[in-house]
Amino acid sequence: MNKTIIKYRFEVRRQCEKIYLIIRYLLITFVCGVCLTPFLVLLILSLNTPKRNFYEGNMLIPDFYFQNFVEGWHKSNIGQAMINSGLITIISVVLIVVLSAMAGYAIARFRNKINMLIFGILLGCMMIPGIINTVPLYTLMIKIKAVNTLWGMACVCATLALPQAVFVFTGFVRSLPKEIEEAAIIDGCSYMKVFWRIIFPLLKPSISAVVILNGFGIWNNYSQAVFFLQDSSKHNVPQALSVYFQQFAGAKWNLMAATAVIAIIPVVTAFLIFQKNLMKGLTEGALKG
Amino acid sequence: MTKKKIGLHTFMAFPAFFLFSVFFLYPLCKGIGMSMTDWDGIRTAKFIGIQNFICFFSDKRAMTDIKTTVLFALGSAPLLNIIGLGYALLMNGKFRGKSMARMFIYMPAIISPLIMGYIWYLLLQPGRGFVYHALDRIGRAELFGNWLGNYWTAMLVLILVNVWQYAGMTMVIYLAGLQSIPADLYESAQIDGATGRQSFCYITLPLLGPSIRINVVTNIIGSLSVFDIVMSLTGGGPGYNTETLSIYIMRMCYGSKTGYSTAVAIIMFFIILVPVVIALRLTKEKSE
Repeated sequence: MNKTIIKYRFEVRRQCEKIYLIIRYLLITFVCGVCLTPFLVLLILSLNTPKRNFYEGNMLIPDFYFQNFVEGWHKSNIGQAMINSGLITIISVVLIVVLSAMAGYAIARFRNKINMLIFGILLGCMMIPGIINTVPLYTLMIKIKAVNTLWGMACVCATLALPQAVFVFTGFVRSLPKEIEEAAIIDGCSYMKVFWRIIFPLLKPSISAVVILNGFGIWNNYSQAVFFLQDSSKHNVPQALSVYFQQFAGAKWNLMAATAVIAIIPVVTAFLIFQKNLMKGLTEGALKG
Repeated sequence: MTKKKIGLHTFMAFPAFFLFSVFFLYPLCKGIGMSMTDWDGIRTAKFIGIQNFICFFSDKRAMTDIKTTVLFALGSAPLLNIIGLGYALLMNGKFRGKSMARMFIYMPAIISPLIMGYIWYLLLQPGRGFVYHALDRIGRAELFGNWLGNYWTAMLVLILVNVWQYAGMTMVIYLAGLQSIPADLYESAQIDGATGRQSFCYITLPLLGPSIRINVVTNIIGSLSVFDIVMSLTGGGPGYNTETLSIYIMRMCYGSKTGYSTAVAIIMFFIILVPVVIALRLTKEKSE
């Protein structure tokens, strides 16, 4: 008697779990759909002929008219903008990683007053969004002739990311054991050498977290670019797109969509390459601090 | 020889701090001085005290901007956290296609909010957008309104698009937090007869403390300084209704009111500082 009840309960529970699993899968599919639909619509729009009356006939099957991409590429400034964005991103990511890894190591290992003060100032400024000092920064940039230069923009982007990156690296270095370094120091290695040869390679997970968290944001930066990259030959991707879109003011969707797709391709490719490191880097690197 | 070595490594934090001082601290301090002048960007500045601040609080457009910015943040920061946590709970654990699903959800976050705004504009444009045609196709065209032309619906669209875009980013941080919770805690709770809700309230939430803190603070800052999405979706319109403070600063600076725009930036700093400090206090108590 008792045994059958237990068996019955077990059966019910298994059924429940099955239903729960199905609901979960349905929810996941729905959420993914919500996230992807705009991209699909964009892709469909970008493949329609200019003559096609909007959404006549089948809405979901485009004309596969690839001329849009050619025309969008030639008429907009997107090629140059991608080079600019790429250079800015590379310069500033290198700056961020090298400078804040060094600072993070120093702050985590040598707890003197100066380092603690620097750490305190950086943490305090973590809460200040870039837009707040953009205007005085602009006047400074004019003085040092950094407006409309890629290096100037890269420095600005790197600076805005520094506090958070230093925070992440400091936390990560603190979690590393001191013994390896001490052994190297006893063997006559300098602290600088220890940092570059031993610590820096160990920082890999936090480096990938910092690169992913900041890289895309710098490539996509618009609110700083509006101020510091006004010359059209120095425009970055969002600027080039907004200039191109404003020409049409809502007409010529096929071209607008095609250019947007061109602009998205490098980002999505980079993301697909790095996405494995993303979760790993975040779990191991960012949250330790 | 040894002295030199010690000298070098103690200065390792200096390059970072140097860059930060030049491009952040110096302009910040200069901005405080500039905010009390009537500088227009070209002529020599004249000291006018707190005139700019008085001017700001008597400007009707600026007051709507504050209202819009705060409303936007009030809508998007909590929603982002709730939905991000929901996504994370849904995506946590093992199932087939896990990494693919996570990738799809994170995808909107890597694309420029400006482009995102344009994509949604293409979808929502009155009379011609994809959504209108989709509704028209199922015979419910009357459901479609000029959502971007009305203040409240435009705000709703802005908030939802922002949440749609950044929920993935919030999710990833919550996921990282969830994965750092040891599984045996749940097992022992289950053995002790805890319900799913109980183990969520007494194990998951308290141990998520650090992730909650990071997410809440970054979402508050991000929402209060929103710029790109508003620029591309409504351009601050209709009129100046959905203009946010950061757009106002940009437009004032271009409108050769440089001194005034730095004053607005300082006011904006305090608008951001207050909720962030409150959030930090609240989450600190929880994590202890």
